[in-house]
Amino acid sequence: MLKDKIAARIPTVRVEEGAALPTFVAEPGDYRALARLLRDDAETPFDYLVCLTGVDRGDTLGVVLLLESTGSGQRVFVQTGVAERERPVLPTVSDLWETANLNEREVYDYLGIRFAGHPDMRRLFLRNDWVGYPLRKDYKIDGAVNPVPLESDESPDVTTVYREDGSEETRALFDETDYVVNIGPQHPATHGVLRFRTALEGEIVKKVDVHCGYIHRGIEKMSESLAYPQILALTDRLDYLAAHQHRHALCLCLEEALQLEVPERVKYIRTIMDELNRLSSHLLFWSTLCMDLGALTAFFYGFRDREKVLDILEETTGGRLIQHYNVIGGVSADIHPNFTRRIKEFIRYLPPMLKEYDRVFTGNVIAQERMKGVGVLSREDAISFGVTGPSGRASGWACDVRKRRPYGVYDRVDFDEILFTEGDSFHRYLVRLKEIEESLHILEQLVDNIPPGEFAVKTKPVIKLPEGRFFKSVEGSRGEFGVYIESRGEKTPYRLKFRSTSFPLVSVVPHLARGSKIADLIAIGGTLDYIVPDIDR
Amino acid sequence: MKNYIVHFIRGLWSLLVGMYTTLRVFFRKKTTERYPENRKQLVMFDRFRGELVLLHDEQNHHGCIACGICETNCPNGTIRLTSEMVTDEAGKKKKVLVEYQYDHGSCIFCQLCVRTCPQRTLAFIPTFEHAVFTREKLVHKLNREGSSVAPKPVAGSSITA
Amino acid sequence: MFDFSIITRWIDQLLRGVMPDAAATVVECVLIGLALLLGYAVIALALIYVERKVCAWFQCRLGPNRVGPFGLLQSVADMIKMLIKEIIEIKHVDKFLFGLAPYIVIIASVTAFACLPFGRGLQVLDFNVGIFFLIAVSSIGIVGILLAGWASNNKYSLIGAMRSGAQMISYELSIGLSILTMVVLSGTLQVSGIVEGQVDGWYLFKGHLPAVIAFVVYLVAGTAETNRGPFDLPEADSELTAGYHTEYSGMHFGFFYLAEYLNMFIVAGVAATLFLGGWMPLHVPGWAGFNEVMDYIPSIAWFFGKVGVMIFVIMWFKWTFPRLRIDQLLRLEWKYLLPINLLNLLLMVIVVVYKLHF
Repeated sequence: MLKDKIAARIPTVRVEEGAALPTFVAEPGDYRALARLLRDDAETPFDYLVCLTGVDRGDTLGVVLLLESTGSGQRVFVQTGVAERERPVLPTVSDLWETANLNEREVYDYLGIRFAGHPDMRRLFLRNDWVGYPLRKDYKIDGAVNPVPLESDESPDVTTVYREDGSEETRALFDETDYVVNIGPQHPATHGVLRFRTALEGEIVKKVDVHCGYIHRGIEKMSESLAYPQILALTDRLDYLAAHQHRHALCLCLEEALQLEVPERVKYIRTIMDELNRLSSHLLFWSTLCMDLGALTAFFYGFRDREKVLDILEETTGGRLIQHYNVIGGVSADIHPNFTRRIKEFIRYLPPMLKEYDRVFTGNVIAQERMKGVGVLSREDAISFGVTGPSGRASGWACDVRKRRPYGVYDRVDFDEILFTEGDSFHRYLVRLKEIEESLHILEQLVDNIPPGEFAVKTKPVIKLPEGRFFKSVEGSRGEFGVYIESRGEKTPYRLKFRSTSFPLVSVVPHLARGSKIADLIAIGGTLDYIVPDIDR
Repeated sequence: MKNYIVHFIRGLWSLLVGMYTTLRVFFRKKTTERYPENRKQLVMFDRFRGELVLLHDEQNHHGCIACGICETNCPNGTIRLTSEMVTDEAGKKKKVLVEYQYDHGSCIFCQLCVRTCPQRTLAFIPTFEHAVFTREKLVHKLNREGSSVAPKPVAGSSITA
Repeated sequence: MFDFSIITRWIDQLLRGVMPDAAATVVECVLIGLALLLGYAVIALALIYVERKVCAWFQCRLGPNRVGPFGLLQSVADMIKMLIKEIIEIKHVDKFLFGLAPYIVIIASVTAFACLPFGRGLQVLDFNVGIFFLIAVSSIGIVGILLAGWASNNKYSLIGAMRSGAQMISYELSIGLSILTMVVLSGTLQVSGIVEGQVDGWYLFKGHLPAVIAFVVYLVAGTAETNRGPFDLPEADSELTAGYHTEYSGMHFGFFYLAEYLNMFIVAGVAATLFLGGWMPLHVPGWAGFNEVMDYIPSIAWFFGKVGVMIFVIMWFKWTFPRLRIDQLLRLEWKYLLPINLLNLLLMVIVVVYKLHF
């Protein structure tokens, strides 16, 4: 039906079948019309832009959108490209989906595609004096062209807007009289090297300009020259608090592409590990949020308890933060004999501590006043910005991948998807506290029922993916983490893109912080709980 | 007015509850680990990945046949093998390990070398006191002085690292 | 009970015996100044150590335990480090004001420190408007903080200083009013007079309800006045990195640091003096034997004991509560503390006029 509708309205659009999801290929001229048609569709409005990927196909430079209709859960790919390589121009979709704003800047940064109509076409991760576009296939890595710079990178105060007709316009980012304060890159509340250029009016935030890329490592570029098992090692280093979940996503994607069936035991172990990871991440969230709001003591309580989760993880996987446990076709080692005993101890240990958390922080009048009604994100905005995970669920968007597209053994366990409608900082906080309880509940159901069997299946020594495009996502600690692979049948991916969980979270900060106070900016950042290496990749 | 008073009292109460909770923790047992005093009791989990070793047995034999699979699999270029061709008594040409160089500083502990080693002669050991003053000191030679390849593959049990 | 004025009088006579009166006065001034500064430094070091230990215990940690037994020498080591640290010269600052600011802060703090009654006969400044003088000099410190923020040429510092100004001016009101409430009860502004008035019971008990309210208000406002958590907005580390003293280094920073701790001591000392009887032992009317025993404990121990308890409470606040936001901070003062305080003052007047106190 969708195909017929599109064929009737825009006949030039080609439909590629065969892959798991349909792909609509549009000419650059029809791309925007197609995007608008899909978003405004009456039956299945594709209101959620999951992932926007820039790809250099050799003959064309283009983008691939993965769209989802949040009502029905239906997903489609949209693809377009231009042959021009000197000054490639594509129309923007950043006015249709807010999340496209930073994503298109990323594509501009990597591939040099200018998006006509985009309000702020600047580089995002790389330095402004970077020569060339690294994800183009004809890019040469050359230390003479891009030497290691020893001077700091001047941040320009102006941005460029490209128009459809090829003209350009320069716009100032801030007013002449703005009191602009750098929050970051070295700042206690940005949880890493992230920089907000904040225009203030007294205590009130007028505008926030997000500046990313301080720990950009080019993982997507590196992946193009690494074999799949080697790439696995990099996924742990995206969001270090969801290392296992992220690796799980890549493993699932590869296993799906290879049509590899993993044993039941593996599914159980992976699910348990995912939840342990979520526990450690949410406990750390609680600690750091308390610290951001000035309750230093609470910070230590969270870390004291998180230590116990890390011990469980370490005993079985050998790693505390970076576990390197999932491998293609299974896990790298069987669970440790103490594993189930320790988990059971922890399930008994944590609930009294959670009560303590409530007494020290949740119920505290200062904490409540600091968070209630601060940084309210509506459901529509959450979807448009692609804010998934606990932050999205606090706004009433049922976006839990564990429920919507179950993987592992999530379809066999009983747990609640925590939903609130308020969408303010306090409810973003509450969702995570409640999810800690749900994770304990999931662990309780699984820990005694791990079936016997193999912990991994044998794979070929050299793994080659069949040709095609693959996307698989898991529920990371702070949202939907997806892996998009375009393969040409080699042992390295042609293009590999990680749908980062924190990237949309940070893109929504300027929207939420406008008009609030400096202290609110900290509370908003704290409750969104972004992780910088996941933003920068 | 009623709201004002109720809100005030409730707020005050929440503060007192918080203070009571922290005071209870004040008198609880502390969780600080007293390293290095507790060095003797401090045992890492046996799967903890501290550093890579080449397993040797009592006769100073290791199992490395210098195939280079670990070297090609390492995502970070951490392992460098130097080998030479020697002719044994039977007149057969054989590749022999000269030096197994491992750069601890750039290892990302992904275990690909251990997992892919056909001889099962690599392992991670749970040592953890690795701090040194220069990066050069982090480059280790894993095959011991005078060691040679074992006639049969060394079993994983004879860890003498 | 031992009276320290015996010693001071003896020194005075000794000096006057060997030199002319004018010279003796100069020598005494110098001696007192040295003693004050020494006491100031020692108390600051002790407080820094205590804070670190207390904070650690609240956080299930052990705190300093490396330098000396139980880490006792930790703050001495820190002081030595601070003293030998370079004072970094910042570009584009107002050098004179930048250098002046920490001294203003420390002078205000030392002068207020001198007004405290440490024991029987052990008080440097004692005259008929003592407590008034104390409030006046302690609020000079705000000038130093504003100057520091302004002169640093740093946006964080300026915001911190502005916050600090708004906060201190607001909370000065509450401090003043709650002290005024107690002055109504005691009938004197002289510090020694206030202490003497509590010989038959501390004001906290004698003034019952209004005194307790004034005590709580004073504690809250006093914590705010010292810029300590949960009112540490001027230096909110997760928002403004370090607020008004971001750009300071070495001993210039050390002065702010010392003054912060000593201000806490001063606030606790005033609370002990006004509400808990200063150096006056715990006396219960009618229990002669008990009072006798209490008198054996030296007055200086009483004073420091009470101050210690107050300091612990202030630290307890800091290590339990999250930080307020600037509008909440001002709302707390203007919407809650100030009206309560005014009503309380009225209540105290009624209590005193109708002799409802003990």
